[in-house]
Amino acid sequence: MADADLVVRNDIRSAMWNPGGWKSLLSFFILALAWLAGFSARLFAVIRFESIIHEFDPWFNYRATHYMVQNGFYNFLNWFDDRAWYPLGRIVGGTVYPGLMVTSGSIHWFLNLLNIPIHIRDICVFLAPVFSGMTSMSVYLFTKEIWSPGAGLFAACFIAIVPGYISRSVAGSYDNEGIAIFALMFTYFLWIKSVKTGQVFWSICTALSYFYMVSAWGGYVFIINLIPLHVFTLLLMGRYSQRIYTAYNCFYIVGLILSMQIPFVGFQPIRTSEHMAAAGVFALLNAYAFLKYIQNFLTKSEFRYFFIAAVTFAAAVVFVAVVGLTWAGYIAPWSGRFYSLWDTGYAKIHIPIIASVSEHQPTTWVSFFFDLHILVCAFPVGAWYCIKNINDERVFVVLYAIFASYFAGVMVRLMLTLTPVVCVLAAVAFSKTFEVYLKDDSPKQNQKSLDENGENKNDRLYDKVGNKKKVREDKPQEEEGLGINVKSIIIVALLMMLMLFAVHCTWVTSSAYSSPSIVLASYGQGGSRTILDDFREAYYWLRQNTDDKARIMSWWDYGYQIAGMGNRTTLVDNNTWNNSHIALVGKAMSSNETAAYEIMRMLDVNYVLVIFGGVIGYSGDDINKFLWMVRIAEGEHPRDIKEVDYFTPQGEFRVDAAGSKTLLNCLMYKLSYYRFGQMQLDFRSPAGFDRTRGVEIGNKNFDLTHVEEAYTTEHWLVRIYKVKDLENRDNLKTPHRPVKKSRRKSKKSSKKIGSIKNKPKVVKGKKSKSSKAGSRSGGRTGTK
Amino acid sequence: MYFRWQIKMAAYIQLVLLWGFIALLTASVLAETKKKEESLGDKVHQLMEWNNKKSIIRLNGDKFKQYVRTAPRNYSVVVMLTALQPQRGCSVCRQANDEYQILANSWRYSQHYSNKLFFTLVDYDEGSDIFQSMKLNTAPVFMHFPSKGKPKKGDTLDIHRVGFAAEQLAKWVGERTDVQIRVFRPPNYSGTVALALLFATIGGLLYFKRNNLEFLYNKTSWGIIALAVIFAMTSGQMWNHIRGPPVMHRNPNTGQMHYIHGSSQGQFIMETYIVMLLNTAVVVGFIMLNEAQSMKGDPSKKRILSLVGLGCVTIFFSLLLSVFRSKYQGYPYSFLFK
Repeated sequence: MADADLVVRNDIRSAMWNPGGWKSLLSFFILALAWLAGFSARLFAVIRFESIIHEFDPWFNYRATHYMVQNGFYNFLNWFDDRAWYPLGRIVGGTVYPGLMVTSGSIHWFLNLLNIPIHIRDICVFLAPVFSGMTSMSVYLFTKEIWSPGAGLFAACFIAIVPGYISRSVAGSYDNEGIAIFALMFTYFLWIKSVKTGQVFWSICTALSYFYMVSAWGGYVFIINLIPLHVFTLLLMGRYSQRIYTAYNCFYIVGLILSMQIPFVGFQPIRTSEHMAAAGVFALLNAYAFLKYIQNFLTKSEFRYFFIAAVTFAAAVVFVAVVGLTWAGYIAPWSGRFYSLWDTGYAKIHIPIIASVSEHQPTTWVSFFFDLHILVCAFPVGAWYCIKNINDERVFVVLYAIFASYFAGVMVRLMLTLTPVVCVLAAVAFSKTFEVYLKDDSPKQNQKSLDENGENKNDRLYDKVGNKKKVREDKPQEEEGLGINVKSIIIVALLMMLMLFAVHCTWVTSSAYSSPSIVLASYGQGGSRTILDDFREAYYWLRQNTDDKARIMSWWDYGYQIAGMGNRTTLVDNNTWNNSHIALVGKAMSSNETAAYEIMRMLDVNYVLVIFGGVIGYSGDDINKFLWMVRIAEGEHPRDIKEVDYFTPQGEFRVDAAGSKTLLNCLMYKLSYYRFGQMQLDFRSPAGFDRTRGVEIGNKNFDLTHVEEAYTTEHWLVRIYKVKDLENRDNLKTPHRPVKKSRRKSKKSSKKIGSIKNKPKVVKGKKSKSSKAGSRSGGRTGTK
Repeated sequence: MYFRWQIKMAAYIQLVLLWGFIALLTASVLAETKKKEESLGDKVHQLMEWNNKKSIIRLNGDKFKQYVRTAPRNYSVVVMLTALQPQRGCSVCRQANDEYQILANSWRYSQHYSNKLFFTLVDYDEGSDIFQSMKLNTAPVFMHFPSKGKPKKGDTLDIHRVGFAAEQLAKWVGERTDVQIRVFRPPNYSGTVALALLFATIGGLLYFKRNNLEFLYNKTSWGIIALAVIFAMTSGQMWNHIRGPPVMHRNPNTGQMHYIHGSSQGQFIMETYIVMLLNTAVVVGFIMLNEAQSMKGDPSKKRILSLVGLGCVTIFFSLLLSVFRSKYQGYPYSFLFK
């Protein structure tokens, strides 16, 4: 027994002192720290505010998750939401990527199985930070396959804190991207693994991971185009091998079938142009493999002719097939969103609703630097060394880097797909540099000197000799290498820069990416903080004070929030699938009150909700977004709405007295500025001074005819108006003529029914006698 | 009764008066239209004749008055008031003229071509009096003279807002005259030709070097191409391409040149080049750092190379950081320089 124990102990000891064991412990420790750092860096919003869902889209995801948890998965797939897009409704199950909901739903189910009661909201809030840790794991694995484990650790640390990824994965931003980047990088890792090994197992895993990605985010198109591009480039470079053939064929077939299981994707993978590249490469790869096989049986000259004939024939067949199918309508041409990535001017002219979203704008160098800091300078170095030491999998990274940087340049939003590869390549650059400068120049000599030191300790008599020896040996060592001083200077400088990067990341996360945008905070002079909770106040008011079936009209930005927090029916929301419906709302907002009333009656609107930031100086309000409403409305109704009418003759958009009359009388203006003209914010500025625009408004004293103010929040941020019923409109709209008629009638009727004595009538008569015009105008202002 | 009779009388009188007036009016109008028709017919005929030769009719001061300003017209005229003479140095005018030419040609050769609409041009050097009389001091100006009445507010195109692309001009003309013109751009072959030339050069190179295709395997050139793409994208060239910012900005008050846009929302073309250079310098520094070790030769050279590399990385990165700092208000960190 004792012997056995000793043996085990010895084993443990050897494992402990085994460098491999230390290595894996260290890397495990670093990865755990990266996960922890990434997780805690994303908690700013939760600590400052509370555990709350952020922004716009997450509210829909949360609502859908909530629905799924309550009603089960199959009811969720068949969910027809009659509370959105009134009167059209929305088939949610078929128009949503369910991966996010299923992920958090299954976590909820699992935790409940373990008797850990947790609210689904908390899972939704913390899902993205947890997944960011998994992303750094998969980036580590990916980089390990591409370069080295050391670079992998660097990459994992970079991706854990880089702002470009944090921007989409802070706690509370419960959106598809949060889990999709993990799926993306994991799929790429498995793909590299399957290209390296050529095993069916890995490529099936790739297909499964791809399936998860398809279920999570529309960005899966990036994978299904990049992997075929990789294969195609490998073919061009003459790097075809059996491994690639197995990997791609398994992945393509299984991935295609799996991706078609998602209801929202459906038959798109075989019918749209975005997916055709993958099919083309599949055909090409098989044709190439076939030719390779034929080559075994033919002589060189025979093969040459056969090759040319086969290639021409195959090219002709493919070309005719694609053109024919597109012409016959079996293959849909590129959709607008994807097309605008290539032809950058396309969306601006043809699809204003795509151009209106701030995420779809091109990227300035400032936002590259803001989101990536030193990595943006370092990652080309990694790309350089990947090209210099090229192999099958590095081709993939280089292609990924080039295409992702192109897409990120076109759209700010696609910075997200660039960020992982930037981390990978920057990690390659840094790890290579550190490898050069941290390594001992000649470990053998060092060992020798160590041994000599040991000898010296043993017999002090040879002290002098030992020193002399050391000096002699040090000299050539320094001459060969760079010298310890230079090395340490370089290491320290690089470490300083990396430290600066970490500080930058924290600052950016805390200052730019950690506001829920539902709860606003303003800071006083002494650093005191005031919370502006107007949005939730308004939505809660809607929830409590309006009819359950009430229909709220607002600009599409707020649709999801009204549905999620207010639980009321909306006309348009952030799922901008129906442009003409949005244009109708835009038209109502930009026409005058009477015309707008007709549209609102047509759409059965009960309440109108506008965001107004003039009191507190909130810049993202509806007046600042107003030109987009006009533009989108003009796109559908060019006869009624003209953008020119909303500008001054000088071409400016102004809300003060110099602004255009159309603007000063449109519904949006009136709803935003109703009663604002009487409000004096402070003593230095005149009444009706708009803090956001910094001007005194142009149209101050007006009344609303067809709507009435229902609720305005504390800081006037949200204003809700009730649309009046038709009866009221009749009474108000015909005050002139009926008065005369009624007088005549009253004379007649007074003969008929003499007994009725109506005091108010007498009063009316008096007033009208004194002055008609005066009484009329007085009556009107009296309604206020 | 008396009252009624009075009304009747008044009505009769009014009726008679009205008839008389109408008769007079018709007579005078008839007399005038005869005169007009001659001149109008002539004018239209003349304009059509000119238009057969050229799609844009050049007008001088007299002709402008005769055909555009004077009243009897049944046709709309679109005028571009411009300064095309080279000594005026108006590059915008030339671009506008090209677009205008496209529009006029599309109208001239369209199926709906008629004598209801003419495109004309007034050059400043041929009719400066027109510019003075219309109080114009900028060029180019697009104006529409409707067939009836005087030009209104919307009859002058707001170039600053909509620009002068032929499609926008056609839209504007359509709004003003109800004549819809489908702009037919002569297909731009320059892109195709450039592409063909590129392919031809590549093909030619490959053909001449067919015995030695080693250069295709040259990793350095491929690396440089890949890095060029990356540098172009990360320095915001795509933003420049889409938004078309100015190269740099001259402060009108001090005459000082600004190479760097003051806000983080915008950028100048010059600025992106500077950023691209800084990025490249950092990358070159990094590569020097890495190559220093593997370089063969004198160790002191190695040391110098690595220190130069380090200098490149730190100095140019801190320059980049300070450029960023100047654009992003309230950014607290800096490295080496403020």
